Amino acid sequence: MSPGKLVDLDRAAELVPDGCSLALGGLSLNTAPMAFCSALVRAGVRDLELISVVSGMSTDWLIGGGCVARLLMGLVSFEGFGLAPLFRRAAERGAIEVEEYSEHTMICMLQAAAAGVPFMPTRSGLGTDTIGRHPERTREVLDERSGQHYVACAALRPDVAVIHAHEADVHGNVRMLPKMVWFDTELVKAAARVIVTVERIVETASFRAAPERSAFPAFAVDHVVHAPRGAWPTGCWPEYEYDGAFYAAYQAAARDPQAFAELFAEHVGPLRWSGS
Amino acid sequence: MSDWTLDELVVTALASAFDDDIRAFNGAASFVPVAALMLARATHAPGLTWVAGSIAVDPRPAAIPESTLSDALWGEATMYQSSAFDFWPYAQSGRLNSFCFRGAQIDAYGNVNNSVIGEFERPKIRLPGGGGMADLGCLCERVFLWSTTHNPRTFVERLDFRSGLGYGDGPGHRERLGLRGGPDLCVTDLAVMDFHPTSRRMRLRSAHPGVSVEQIREATGFELIVEGDVPQTPPPTPEQVRLIRELDPTDARKREFSRS
Repeated sequence: MSPGKLVDLDRAAELVPDGCSLALGGLSLNTAPMAFCSALVRAGVRDLELISVVSGMSTDWLIGGGCVARLLMGLVSFEGFGLAPLFRRAAERGAIEVEEYSEHTMICMLQAAAAGVPFMPTRSGLGTDTIGRHPERTREVLDERSGQHYVACAALRPDVAVIHAHEADVHGNVRMLPKMVWFDTELVKAAARVIVTVERIVETASFRAAPERSAFPAFAVDHVVHAPRGAWPTGCWPEYEYDGAFYAAYQAAARDPQAFAELFAEHVGPLRWSGS
Repeated sequence: MSDWTLDELVVTALASAFDDDIRAFNGAASFVPVAALMLARATHAPGLTWVAGSIAVDPRPAAIPESTLSDALWGEATMYQSSAFDFWPYAQSGRLNSFCFRGAQIDAYGNVNNSVIGEFERPKIRLPGGGGMADLGCLCERVFLWSTTHNPRTFVERLDFRSGLGYGDGPGHRERLGLRGGPDLCVTDLAVMDFHPTSRRMRLRSAHPGVSVEQIREATGFELIVEGDVPQTPPPTPEQVRLIRELDPTDARKREFSRS
């Protein structure tokens, strides 16, 4: 089999240069490209502009790896397992710059980039403090013709987007089982370069046998990484669930600097920022 | 000694606000609303629509997991809205019309902060963020607020950050922005409140058993409207209690009551 677009995790991490804008897929405790995050931490990537619409552990790991300069976010949470501890500390101490938007205005920014238009209009965000803090990204506009107010969400084009999926072939055809793509779709369509980490590499014939189940076409994907259990500790439904015991252990360790450094070194990589 | 607990009272009070016209979806860490939606569907509002985590349509989960956006809530759904684009236009058009949110701060007009306590740049407390609040406060015709910490730190005159829109700056604000609806209710660990039809400020509707109006006033950091005699929030019936414990067998709803 020709390697095609197949690269290993460490090589893929090298495709993310210092200072670039990186968008990560996943939704809260579901299917984030965690093995890739860990590779970025090991590689010591710095000064990223991280774009995470609804995330938790992925953002926390990259902050711990000292990788993040600026974060564009809608929500960063461990839900029932509490607040993401490093995100919280880094924001409170000013160690990273945080730009908060909303889920839908971020989706609109990505859709504008995909469509090649300067902005996407929406009624989302009107009357809130999530718009107007960075008017170059989101601002309220009155449409003179209709008299309607809307929020203009400026195109946001990530340099690199990384998502995790179940299967791909070496050409970059990607399948999710079942097809659960949430806003990974917007990331793939908006980003200049797309990396997909997958549980399994499969033959192209299996895509031809069931094209209705494909999530992304080869022409939209630049690199494929074979990363079994690559979403851990988030879940990769229906193959494995989020690892609740790890979330709880991570949260408990975050109260003790030494225990946390050990846990981080064992499961993620070198801890470069913990705020303690 | 009653045969129900505070979390069951709050779930029941929120559920009683849901009718067959509710076409709701839920956000992250929304244990109380998920329990309330399932309870209402199992009792007085069988026609209610619930989309778990904006993804799984009409599911029958066996339990409520630690993440209310996760697949563990999707059991027996009739459809997965598998991409964000499958979902958002329904919220924008009003086909889906209801959402619940909670905030670290809530003001008299039902605006909510779940972003920061203190200055945005160097916050005293960095909270998880609004997520879809800023979207759904605008788009949804029916918004329900809940809080398990009814105290003057949560119920404040002025928010540090407006993550989600209620009635904004007051009467007429939503209309000026061309937005429908607004918050219907706010259910807390002490009381049920609604919003005065003209002033749009929060108004006491019922006090939970054993809680006095004076206590609620003192726990609210803004001037709460109190009109006439305030009724008691009806406690859950034995059947409601039984159903809540059956629908949420791992007590996920209680997670929200363990925090200070």
